[in-house]
Amino acid sequence: MIRIRELTKRYGPLTVLDRFSLDVAPGESVALWGPNGAGKTTVVRCILGLVDYEGSVQVAGLDARLRGKAVRARIGYVAQELSFYDDMPLEDVLVYSATLRNVPVARVGTLLDQFRLHDHRLKRVAELSGGLKQRLALAVALVPDPPLLLLDEPTSNLDAHSREEAIELFEELRREGRTILLTTHHMEEMGMLVDRVVAMDGGRIVTECPPGELAERLGLKVWLHVILRSHDTTRALEALESAGFAARTNSAGILVEVPAQRKGQALNTLHRAGLEIEDLEVWT
Amino acid sequence: MTALLALILGLAPLLGAAPAASDGDLQALIDAAAPGATIELPAGVYRGDITIDKTLTLRGTGGTVIEGTGTGTVVTVLAPDVTLEGLVIRRSGDSLDREHAGISVKAPRVKVVDNRLEDVLFGIFLYQSPDSVIRGNTVVSKDLFIARRGDAIRMWESHRTVVEGNVVDGARDVVLWFCDDAVIRGNLIANGRYGLHFMYSDRATIEDNALIDNSVGSFLMYSKDLVLRRNLISGNNGPAGYGVGLKDMDGSRLEDNLLVGNRAGVFLDNSPQSVGIEQTFEGNLFAYNQIGVLFLPSVKGNVFWGNSFVDNTVQVAVQGGGRFGGNTWTRDGIGNYWSDYAGYDADGDGFGDVPYRLDDLYDHLLDRNPELMLFADTPASRALDLAARAFPVIKPRPKVRDDRPLITPPPVPEPPFDLEVRPGGSLLAASILMLGVATTTVFAAQRRRSLP
Amino acid sequence: MTAGAAPDVWLDLPEKAQRRTILAIARKELDDAVRSRWFWMWTVSFAGLAAVLAMTALPASRIAGAASYGRTAASLVTLTQIIVPLMGLTLGAQTIAFQRENGALRFLLSHPVNRTESFWGLYAGKAAALTAASFAGFGTAGVVTALRSGGGEAGSFVRITLLAWALLLAMVAVGMLISTLAHRAPSALGSAVFTWLALVFLGDLGLMGTAVATRLSVPMLFFSTIVNPVEAFRLAALATFASSFDILGPAGTYAADALGAALVPVIVSSLLAWILVPLAVAWFRFTRHQDL
Repeated sequence: MIRIRELTKRYGPLTVLDRFSLDVAPGESVALWGPNGAGKTTVVRCILGLVDYEGSVQVAGLDARLRGKAVRARIGYVAQELSFYDDMPLEDVLVYSATLRNVPVARVGTLLDQFRLHDHRLKRVAELSGGLKQRLALAVALVPDPPLLLLDEPTSNLDAHSREEAIELFEELRREGRTILLTTHHMEEMGMLVDRVVAMDGGRIVTECPPGELAERLGLKVWLHVILRSHDTTRALEALESAGFAARTNSAGILVEVPAQRKGQALNTLHRAGLEIEDLEVWT
Repeated sequence: MTALLALILGLAPLLGAAPAASDGDLQALIDAAAPGATIELPAGVYRGDITIDKTLTLRGTGGTVIEGTGTGTVVTVLAPDVTLEGLVIRRSGDSLDREHAGISVKAPRVKVVDNRLEDVLFGIFLYQSPDSVIRGNTVVSKDLFIARRGDAIRMWESHRTVVEGNVVDGARDVVLWFCDDAVIRGNLIANGRYGLHFMYSDRATIEDNALIDNSVGSFLMYSKDLVLRRNLISGNNGPAGYGVGLKDMDGSRLEDNLLVGNRAGVFLDNSPQSVGIEQTFEGNLFAYNQIGVLFLPSVKGNVFWGNSFVDNTVQVAVQGGGRFGGNTWTRDGIGNYWSDYAGYDADGDGFGDVPYRLDDLYDHLLDRNPELMLFADTPASRALDLAARAFPVIKPRPKVRDDRPLITPPPVPEPPFDLEVRPGGSLLAASILMLGVATTTVFAAQRRRSLP
Repeated sequence: MTAGAAPDVWLDLPEKAQRRTILAIARKELDDAVRSRWFWMWTVSFAGLAAVLAMTALPASRIAGAASYGRTAASLVTLTQIIVPLMGLTLGAQTIAFQRENGALRFLLSHPVNRTESFWGLYAGKAAALTAASFAGFGTAGVVTALRSGGGEAGSFVRITLLAWALLLAMVAVGMLISTLAHRAPSALGSAVFTWLALVFLGDLGLMGTAVATRLSVPMLFFSTIVNPVEAFRLAALATFASSFDILGPAGTYAADALGAALVPVIVSSLLAWILVPLAVAWFRFTRHQDL
C-alpha cells in the first residue's frame, strides 16, 4: 500500500529524514515510533504531499508527487487537532471535508451516527471536549471510507478515558482491514494496535520489529522502584547483585535496573530470596 | 413648398393687396414692403438668405421658419429700428472668416426677440448697432469641433445693448467688443467655450445669468467697472476653467454670485490694473471649485468680505508662487466664511477669535510646483499639511489672513434659474443592485447544506 | 462500504484544478469571513463613513447637483483609497500565513485538493467577502446620494465602484503575495500595514519630494504616479466625474494630451497589472516552493 524509497527531507541545514525507506502492505498496521524530532510527522507529511522531498513515495502504486490528489483521495488523515476550525459547527467540518472529496453529503449523517456525534453536530469545534474532538477527527478521516489511514499522534492530547475510547476505535478500523500508519512516542498503548513497529531516530530507521520485541531490540532498560514489606534492603541488594542486576537503595526502597522486556526476572529473584514486595513502580 | 399667405399690415400707405409670395420668396415680400411696415409670417418654411434694408418688423406667428442656403448669413439687417420676432432661423454657412451668421445686424436700435436659431455658425452678430435689444432668443450652434464654431452672440461697438433672457447651448462664445454700458441679464449660457467674453467693454451690468459647463464661465478683459451680481457660474472646467477670469480689469464688483464646481472660481490676472483702483467681492459663494480664487503673484487691490469659501480643494492659490500680498480679506470688521477654519468663537459674536490663515505647506509647494496639483486631495497631501502643522519646521508665509472670519456661512444667494434636477432613479437602481450583490454574497456564504 | 472494497473511482480524479473544488474552498473562506468580526467591522464602518460623506456634501446640491456630486465622489474616492487597501492588504496577508501557522492549510491539503485549487479558492473567497463589504459601502453611499440630492450620475458612480473593486482585487492579490513570502503570520500582517503606508502615503510623498527637489519632468511624474495602484484607482475614478484632467494641473494636462483616448485604459491597465502580477508570483511561490 505504501512504498517509500530513499526519502530525504532537509530544512535548510537540518536533515529531518535521511534516506528513509519503508513498505507497508495492504491491511498492515504499522507504527512509527521515536522521540520528538525523529522525523515521524515528516514522513506523514511527505506521503500527503504537504512538503517537498527527495526520493520517492508511492501509495497504491501511485506516485505521491505526480498524483497527489489521487493519493490523498485514498487517505484518511487524522490531524493532531482541529483547533483552527474553532468557529465552525462540528457538522460543517464534516460537510466541508465531504464536499472537498466529492463524497455525497449523506455520508456525513452516517458518520455522525457511527461516532455518536449526532447530538453535538451543531456545537462549535471550540466547545467540544478532547474526546469529542478526537471522534470528530476520526470521523473526518473516514469521510472517504479510505483504504489507508494516517494517524499522527492520535492520542497525544487525550485524557485516559478518551484515550481508551480512541484505541477501541482504532482496533475496530484495523479489523475492517484498513491499512494504518500511525506515529507515536507512547509504544505502551499502541503496541496492541500494530503489526509492526518502525523505530526512528534522527531521520533514520533504527530498527523494525513486532511491537513485543521492540524493547529487546533496542536494549531498553527501565528502573524498578521496589518497596519491600520488611525493610531488609541489604539482603535484597545482595540477592539482586548476585543475579546480575544493578541495584541501589534510595530513601523509600530499592532501584533495580532491568531490561524493559524482563522486569519479572528481578521480581522473581526477590521472591525466591523470600522478600515480600509491598509496592512497585516502573521508572523509564 | 407650402403655399403662402402673407398679410402685410402697416400704417404706411398700403399696397393694394397682400402679395402672395410663391415658393416662400420672402426677399420679394420684404422688397415690396413699405418702410415701417410689419410683416407677419404664418407658419411655413421661407427661403433665405434675406437682407432687410429698410425699417421693418418681421414677425413669426409660430412655426415660421426662415431657412438659409447654407452658404452665407441667413438674415442680414442693414436698416435701423428693425424688429425680428418669433422666427426660427436656420442653416447658415460655415465660414468663420466671413462670419456666417443666423442674424447679422449693422444698424442701431434693432430688436431681436423670441427667435430660435439653429444650425448656424454665428448666432446673432451686432456690428455698430448701439441701443439694440437681444431678448428671449435661443441659439443652438452647428455641431462642429468647438474651435470651429462661431459665437452665439457677438457684439461689436454696440453700446447700451440689452441682452436678456436668451438661451445659448453649445456655441463658442458670447462676446462683446467695445460695447459700453451693456446689460446682460437672465441668460443661460451652457456648453460653450467662453460663456461670456468681454473685451474693452466698460460699465456693463451682468446679473442673474447662469453660465454652466462652459470651458470658461466668463473671461472679462480690458474693461472697467463691470458689475456681476447673482450669477450662477458652475461647472466651467476647461484647461483655463475659470468661473470668472479677470484680466487687466479695473473696478469690477462681484456680489452674491454662486461660483460652484469650476476649476477656479475666480482668476485674477493684473486686475485691478491701475494703482489705487480696487475691486470688490462681497457675498459670493465659492464652493466645490478646485481652486476658490486663483491669483497671479503680482495681483493686489482686491477686497473680499462676506463671501463663503466652502470645500474648494484649494481655497486660495497663487499661480507660480512668489511674493504675494496687498489684497484684503476683511472690510468694516467683516471677514469671510472659510469651511476649513479651525478656530473658535468664544465670545459668540459670530466672528472667529483667531484669524484665519491659509498657510498650508502643500498649497505653498503647489504655488511653486504646479505639477503637484496631481496630488491634490490625496491622503498624502493632507498628511503633509498635518505634519507641517505638528512640526512647524517650515512655516510658509500665509497667503490669506482674515482677521474676522465668519463662523457661520452667510445665506446662500438664490440661484437665478431653477435648474432641472436630474432624477436619481438610475443611481438608486445601481446602488440597490450593489447592496443586492453584497447581501446575496453574505447569504450565499451562510446558507447551510441540509443533511438528510 | 468496507475499506478493502474501496472503489477505484479516485483514479479518475484528474490532477488538474477543478472548478468545483475551487468553489468549495472559496465558499468556506467566504463563510469564515462572514462569521468573523472584522468583516462586519469593515463593512459597517465603510458603509457608515460613505453615507456620512454623501450626506455632508449635500447642502449646496440645490445650487449645482453636478458639482456637489463631484464633491461626494471625490470624498468617496479618498475614503476608498485609504480603507480599501488597508482592508485588502491586511486580510489578504492573513489568508495563507495564518492558515499555514494554525494548521488549517495542512488540513485542507490532506484532502484530494491541489495547491492551485487551494490558492484560487482562498483568493476567490477572500475577494468575494471584501467585494460584499465594499459594495455595501458604495451601495449605501449611492442610495443616500440618490435619495437626498437626486443627482443622477449613475454611470460615474458605477464606474467608480468597479474601479474600487479592481483596487480591492489588486490589494488582496498583493496581500496574498505578502502572505506567501512571509515566514510568520505576524510578520505578514506587519508587512501588509507597511505596504499600505507605502502605497497610500509614502509613495506620493516621495514623488512630491522628488518633484520639488529635482524638478522631475512632468511625464516622469505622471507615469511614476500611476504605477502606484492606489493612485491609478484615484486618477481613473477622477476621470469618471471630472470634466477634464486639466484639474490635475500640468501633469493632468500632459496626460490628457499625450494619451488622449488611451488615458483611462492606460491607467486602468496599471490597476489590472497589480491584480495579475502579484497573483501570478504568489501562485508560483505557493505551488512550487512552499512546505506546509
